[in-house]
Order: sequence, then structure tokens, then C-alpha cells
Amino acid sequence: MGRYTLRRLLQLIPVLIGTTFIIHFLVWQLPADPFDGRCGQRPCSEAFIARMNEQFHLDEPFYVQYFIFLGKMLTGDFGVSFNQVPVINLIEDAYPNTLKLALVALTIEAVIGVGAGVMTGLKRGGFLDNLVLVSSLFLMALPIVVVAFFMKYLFWAQLGWIEPNVSTEVRWSELIVPGFVLATTSMAFIARLMRANIAENSSADFVKTAKAKGLGSGRVVGVHLLRNSLIPVVTFIGLDLGNLMAGAIVTEGIFNINGVGLTIFRALSLQDATIVVPLATMLVLVYLFMNLLVDLLYGLLDPRIRYE
Amino acid sequence: MAEVAHQADVTEVGYQAGPLLEVDNLHVEFPTRDGIARAVNGVSYSLEQGKTLAVLGESGSGKSVTAQVIMGILDEPGHVSAGEVRFQGRNLLTMSEKERRPLRGNKIAMIFQDALSSLNPVFTVGWQIAEMFRVHQGLTRREAKQKAIEMMDRVRLPAAKNRYNDYPHQFSGGMRQRIMIAMAIALGPDVLIADEPTTALDVTVQAQIMGLLHDLQRESNMGLILITHDLGVVADVADDIAVMYAGRIVEHAPVHDIYRAPAHPYTKGLIESIPRVDLKGQELHAIKGLPPNLLRMPSGCAFHPRCPYRTDQCMTDTPPLYDVGGTRHSACHHWTEVIDDAR
Ligand SMILES: Nc1ncnc2c1ncn2[C@@H]1O[C@H](COP(=O)(O)OP(=O)(O)OP(=O)(O)O)[C@@H](O)[C@H]1O
Ligand SMILES: [Mg+2]
Repeated sequence: MGRYTLRRLLQLIPVLIGTTFIIHFLVWQLPADPFDGRCGQRPCSEAFIARMNEQFHLDEPFYVQYFIFLGKMLTGDFGVSFNQVPVINLIEDAYPNTLKLALVALTIEAVIGVGAGVMTGLKRGGFLDNLVLVSSLFLMALPIVVVAFFMKYLFWAQLGWIEPNVSTEVRWSELIVPGFVLATTSMAFIARLMRANIAENSSADFVKTAKAKGLGSGRVVGVHLLRNSLIPVVTFIGLDLGNLMAGAIVTEGIFNINGVGLTIFRALSLQDATIVVPLATMLVLVYLFMNLLVDLLYGLLDPRIRYE
Repeated sequence: MAEVAHQADVTEVGYQAGPLLEVDNLHVEFPTRDGIARAVNGVSYSLEQGKTLAVLGESGSGKSVTAQVIMGILDEPGHVSAGEVRFQGRNLLTMSEKERRPLRGNKIAMIFQDALSSLNPVFTVGWQIAEMFRVHQGLTRREAKQKAIEMMDRVRLPAAKNRYNDYPHQFSGGMRQRIMIAMAIALGPDVLIADEPTTALDVTVQAQIMGLLHDLQRESNMGLILITHDLGVVADVADDIAVMYAGRIVEHAPVHDIYRAPAHPYTKGLIESIPRVDLKGQELHAIKGLPPNLLRMPSGCAFHPRCPYRTDQCMTDTPPLYDVGGTRHSACHHWTEVIDDAR
């Protein structure tokens, strides 16, 4: 397993180089002219352009810029933005918030999704089952913007339980509603996945054995059935952390959470590639790392998996 | 309804000694989209302590469903519509789940055909055996482990101690079935139901597993219900044979009587279809035709469409379990003819 992990870590290197290259390429290609609109209504002064070219190598060919960027990243230097703010500061501000939001969402989707999936998988065809099937389809089909606006309208404008914007401290309690919004699609998916797994496994032979052993139904379901049915769900949840962090732009925007998504969004509208590229790279890193973690976890959950 | 009355006779006349386990006129139905499938239609059999009852019959004849009712693990939507299952004289089917659970696994245990799918793939085999001791006897993890290793030794699993922490997929088919057996007999049950325990195994391994079951049964004096398709394997181990056809017992008799002279055409067909060394090269006799559709049972005797002894009576009158002498019973109007033919 140690060797496997090492090999997987080594595999990350070309993947990381490839993805950063693409991100870098796309983002720097975006504005035809990086100085467009940067100096108000007027064109930028010669001196400003020269200074920026000097600092950000804007006049160098694209691949040179990329290697300079890569070299700096490797030494842990994330550079400064066009406004001379160290990008590492932005990362330190934004990442913990996004991570917190994603963890809240993950918890919500895991608890509600798995719970609903188990209950409906055990009792198919009942009222609850139909309710969950219909509402999960509904939630998966709804764009997250709509869910976000609805939840904000309900809990802020109607019930007055939350503030319109999450405070700058980003307290856990404030993240429940935004976390729920962020979780909706995955929650619905997990409920359906879990329902299908439970339904399939509950007629499995090993469940028959568990009953024949004289175990109580709580133990049959909670130990024997659940453990097997959770394997694909855990995989999904692990991979979803990466998705949630990257996909939080809408939620962060609507609830005004100073996270990665919002920071990238603002930087994009400022056409500031110096911010977008490192932040996006960090997201890729998180995703790749979670992917590896899930694969390793999978082996722990399912002993039939072998690493070679 | 003559037949029901007659089956009551069977229990009174044949098994006065107070059998360990009795299945009495059991009916099981599965509601399906196309109608009610009557998987079991009045099965009665009984098992004495220390004896082996082989339950034979074609695929779909209701052997497993009957066993699942005895265990109380019948899946929805199947349900018992009539009949009793008595264990030491107490009807299991009217007990509450709370009364019944301590019996399950503890007094009445079961092993299944496919040990690979019947063992939980994500737990170690040792843990799965130890679970019996922890749940039923409240032993600690360490005590249970000790006992589990003893059981693994008892089913002659080589290097049991070293294999405690292995997972089911790491064993061969025969070893896995040994583990299932270890788990089933862990608490010293009075009744062990083995549902085709060797069907999924190689022939040589089959013999070993049958031998093991036989030895264990002798040692602990438990009653064994051995469900199988295969008349060949039961000759050496069974005391009695119950032959099932279309959810009903067609013949119930001591093993030697059945081999010497079957009293039901279906049993006769089964015996003639066993490959025999002395008749090598000759064509095997297979029973012609297919088992009946449970949704559309033939009138009268369910076997009549396939039966060489068929008369008009067979198409209208359901045969009762006739007393054939001794503890033998046959559900064939023409049993005298069938027996005479065999002699
Ligand atoms: N869940 C179910 N739903 C509908 N019918 C069922 C169900 N389970 C079993 N049956 C029916 O009950 C009948 C008896 O099945 P059973 O499994 O007892 O047969 P069997 O004698 O054990 O056969 P085999 O030798 O193939 O194991 C079958 O015809 C089957 O179609
Ligand atoms: Mg069966």
C-alpha cells in the first residue's frame, strides 16, 4: 500500500503540470489586452505599462510566463496580484471559509442523504419513498441559484432567522443555510444512490445469513447492510469535497461569503490572472488529493480491492 | 381436504416419539403481478434428534422456501398462509419476534449454497464467527475470538489462528463453506439446515464437506436437514428422505426403503436419473417434461402431466399421503404399482 501511495503521488505530478498549464493558458488568453480598462477611462501610461511588463512578464511569450509561474509555485511563492496584494494573503483569507462551507455542506448531504436513502431503501413503495424520490428529482433538476434565492428568501425575508449576509467571522452556525444550499444536488444524489444500494443489498445472501445468525434487525441493517451499502457513497462524498469547494461560487456570491469562489469570481471580472491561476491551481490540488484519499479509503472499506 | 386429514395422521402415527422439529401442513404464498404463486402447498416433514433428513426435489419445488420459513427469514412478499412449524413442540410461527430471535442461530442454524455471497465480504471471517458469541452470549471481543478460533479448528480449517483476520474472498470455496459451517454450529444448535451446501463446490470438495457435516452431526447429536438436488450424495448420510414436488411432499421414507423401491413415480424418476457406474454408456433416464408453473398448478396430482402411471383419477383427485408401511408415505394413487415395478 505504501508503494501504491507513492506511485499515486508521483502520478499527481504530470496531472498537476497539465492542469496548471491549461488553467494558465486559458486565463491568460482571456483578456486580449491586460491593460484594457485597468487605468480608468484613459489608456494606461507608458511608465505603468513598462512597470507591469517588468513585474509580470506580460510581454514575454506565454510558455515563458508559464515556466516562471511554475518555478515560483514550486518554491511556495504565489506572487502578488496586479494590485500588489500578496496572493497568499487572499488564499489564507478565502480557503478556510470555503473549506468550512464545504464541510458543512458535506455533513448535511451525508447525514440527510444517507438517512433518507436507508429509510426509503428499506421500505420501498411507501409514502416516504415516493416523497424522497420526487423531491430528490426536483432538487437535482433545480439550478442552485434558485435554491439559494429561495432559501435566503425563506429564512431571511420571511422567517428572519438568518442575516442576509454571512458575517466576516464566518461562524459555523451562519453556514447552515448556505451549506444546505450548496449540498442540495449531492444530497439528492446520495439519497438515491444509498436507496439503490440498500435495496440491492437487502436481498443479498449475506443479509440472509445475518438474519439467520439471529441478529436483531438493528444490527442486520446498521452493521451488515449499511457497511456494504456505504462503500460507493463514501467514495462519492470524498470526491464531492473537491466539487463543493470549486462549485461554491454561486452560494458564496448570494450569501456573501468571502471564499475561494467569490475571490476567483471577483478576480475574473478584474481580469486579474495573477489571482485566478494560483487559486484555481489550489482547487485542483484539493481535488487530486481527495481523489487519492478516496482511493486509499476505498481499500480500507472494501477488502476485496487490491493495490498493485 | 382428505389429504390434510391424512397428513395429520402422518404426524400422529409416524412421529410419536416427539420429533425435534416438525413442519406441519405448511403453505407459503408469494403474491406476484400475475397472481399468487403457491410455492409451498402443504408440506409436512419431521426431524428427529441426531438424525439426518434429506429434502430432495427439482429446482423450484419449495425446498429453500420451507427452510426459510423454519428459520424465520422468508423475504417479503412471501408469507405463510397456513400450517405450523414446531420446534420441541412449540409452534415457531405464532411466537413473537422477541421470543423467536434467541432460537435463531442458537438452536436452529442454517448454511447456504453459496458461501462466498453468504459471508459478508467486508468483515473478516473470524469476526463473523465471533459475532455469534458476542451477540448471543455477550462474550467480550477476546473471549469470542478464542471461541471462534476453536470453531475454525473444529471444522478443520488449516492454520485457523493465522486465518482469523482474513476476508472471505481470500479462501477457497471449500474453506469458505467450512467457515459457514463453523459459524452455524458455533452455539451448538439442535437443528442445522444445510441448503445445498455442496452444490457450488468441486466433486472432491463436496465429499469432504459432506463428510464434515456428517461427523459434526454425530459428535453433537444435532438434527440435520440436508436440502439437495442430488440423490447420489444423500445415500451415505441421510436417515430419512423427503421428496418434494411443486411445493408438496410426494414421498417421505427411510433412505434404504427409497433406494430399494421408490413408492412414487417422481422419486423413481429421480433415482433412475442418477448416473451409475455399472450402467456406464447407457442413456440416462431423465424425467420428461417441466416442473409446473406455480401460478397454474395442474389439477389433481401436480405430477400427472409428466407421470407414466397417470390415470383419469390422477387428473381430478389430489392424492393424499398414503401410508405405505413402516414410516413410509407416498402421495401417489398408484403407489402399489410403482413399488411392485421396482421389485
Ligand atoms: N421472492 C419470491 N417471489 C416470488 N416467488 C418466489 C420467491 N422466492 C421463491 N419463489 C418461488 O417459490 C418457489 C420455490 O422456491 P425455492 O427457492 O424454495 O425452490 P428450491 O426447491 O429451493 O429450488 P432450488 O433447488 O433451485 O434451490 C419457486 O418456484 C420460486 O419461483
Ligand atoms: Mg433452493
